[in-house]
Amino acid sequence: MRRIEFYFRETAAGIRRNGIMAFAAMSTAFIALFLFGLALIIAREINLVIEAVTGNVQVAVYLSDPVRPDTVTRLQTELQALPAVASVEYENKDEACARAKKLFESNPAITENVPCEVYPASFRVTLADTSQYGQITARLACEPDPTTHDITCSEPGVLKVLDFRDILDRLSAITRVLRNGVLFIAVVTLISATVLVANTLRMGMFARRKEIGIMRLVGATNWRIRVPFLIEGLVEALVGAALAIITLFLVKVFVVDQLRGRIVWLPLIRNGDVLAITPWILIAAAGVAIVAGTIGIRRFLDV
Amino acid sequence: MISLQNVTKTYKNGVIALESVSIEIEKGEFVFVVGPSGSGKSTTLRLLLREEEPSTGEVFVAGKNVVRLSSLGGIPKLRRNIGCVFQDFKLLQDKTVFENVSFALEVIGKPKHVIDARVPEILDYVGLGEKLNNYPDELSGGEQQRVSIARACVNRPLVLLADEPTGNLDPNTSVDIMRLLDKVNKIGTTVVMATHDQAIVDAMRKRVIELDRGKVVRDQSRGVYS
Repeated sequence: MRRIEFYFRETAAGIRRNGIMAFAAMSTAFIALFLFGLALIIAREINLVIEAVTGNVQVAVYLSDPVRPDTVTRLQTELQALPAVASVEYENKDEACARAKKLFESNPAITENVPCEVYPASFRVTLADTSQYGQITARLACEPDPTTHDITCSEPGVLKVLDFRDILDRLSAITRVLRNGVLFIAVVTLISATVLVANTLRMGMFARRKEIGIMRLVGATNWRIRVPFLIEGLVEALVGAALAIITLFLVKVFVVDQLRGRIVWLPLIRNGDVLAITPWILIAAAGVAIVAGTIGIRRFLDV
Repeated sequence: MISLQNVTKTYKNGVIALESVSIEIEKGEFVFVVGPSGSGKSTTLRLLLREEEPSTGEVFVAGKNVVRLSSLGGIPKLRRNIGCVFQDFKLLQDKTVFENVSFALEVIGKPKHVIDARVPEILDYVGLGEKLNNYPDELSGGEQQRVSIARACVNRPLVLLADEPTGNLDPNTSVDIMRLLDKVNKIGTTVVMATHDQAIVDAMRKRVIELDRGKVVRDQSRGVYS
């Protein structure tokens, strides 16, 4: 208990004494961790969009009403038998309705006014080889309709086929560029945050070299000497993390929530999504503190 | 208590600080180490503290071979048994007299009740019982050195190493400090003091070990400076 008190008193004194450096370290950690969180949130948002637009499948085969069970069984077996097809999942009308309700839950105008019957049942197809998509349209005898861009099929029981490959490719390209771009900036700033925290610790140790000298002389252990500095690094990184998390929530409330409902089909991240990435931010902060601590106090490892 | 056996210390730059030095010091002795600058006095003290390792030979303090101690636990434990006093006092200016002394106990993890009991006791012992809450810059040189002796002794060390403790003090104050060191010695602490101060060595008539260019040239009980 007393030891813990000692460590925290030393840490507080260290941060106070080293105010400007500590501030620089904390604010850089904050920006780095914010960008890191932003990259994770962008990835989540785009996944939501992909989910909304495609239901996470590459090809959807919609069935015409009324759906006959024997047609479902027959078509599922036949689609599954195609070499280009990796998996086929059947989604009945109730499931389709439930998914749509969830997708548009922030738009009661849609969920309340559109009856469940209009959502068609479908096969949701994942392709083993996306370039062999033609096998499906050929098997179902589908032709693109030049006026509506829908692909209509003459196979009995099949309403139409929707090909999401192109849109998936584009969305994942956008994801890659956006997420990796932000992630790259985040990594660079995380590195500078680490260096700054390490430098703060080093300057703190230098400012207190006389005290450290006396501690050694009277027989304080290495850990007794170092732990306050390690805690100092951890506190700086965690303050940065806390600010980053708060700012991400503010961005969600003041930017994302303002967009909600403006674009009907566009699903947006929710508080839960921001909450879900906070552990990663904290882990990154701990990583910054550990690396900075190792670099920062290495010179003082010898007794 | 202290034993140097055939110790040679060569620094990285080739300077030979000690050459085949053997010294035995018994428990409770008071020993002056004298000699000109560069004769190896400070190196000897640094070897005892395990701030340096001997190039060859063995160093024993309180029955422990200090070369074999680990930096994780052994060296700190050794240093808890050795008090140190320096020419420049090495006090922390932003701490009071009480805090300077309690710091030494705090950083080795002594509980608060021990600190609260021992610190006033030792400060009283060195004659600073009234100045607990003063800062070092409010004290005279002699008083500052008393604080540093209190800090060195508060953990009841077996050995007190003093490196020129009177080097910054006028002759009268020096005598007071020597009385105090003598008093510390009388309660059983082994005292090893490196010094240039001829008057003090001559007045005290203690054992004198004279070093010159890294060698013991004289080891005399009840000796004088030269």
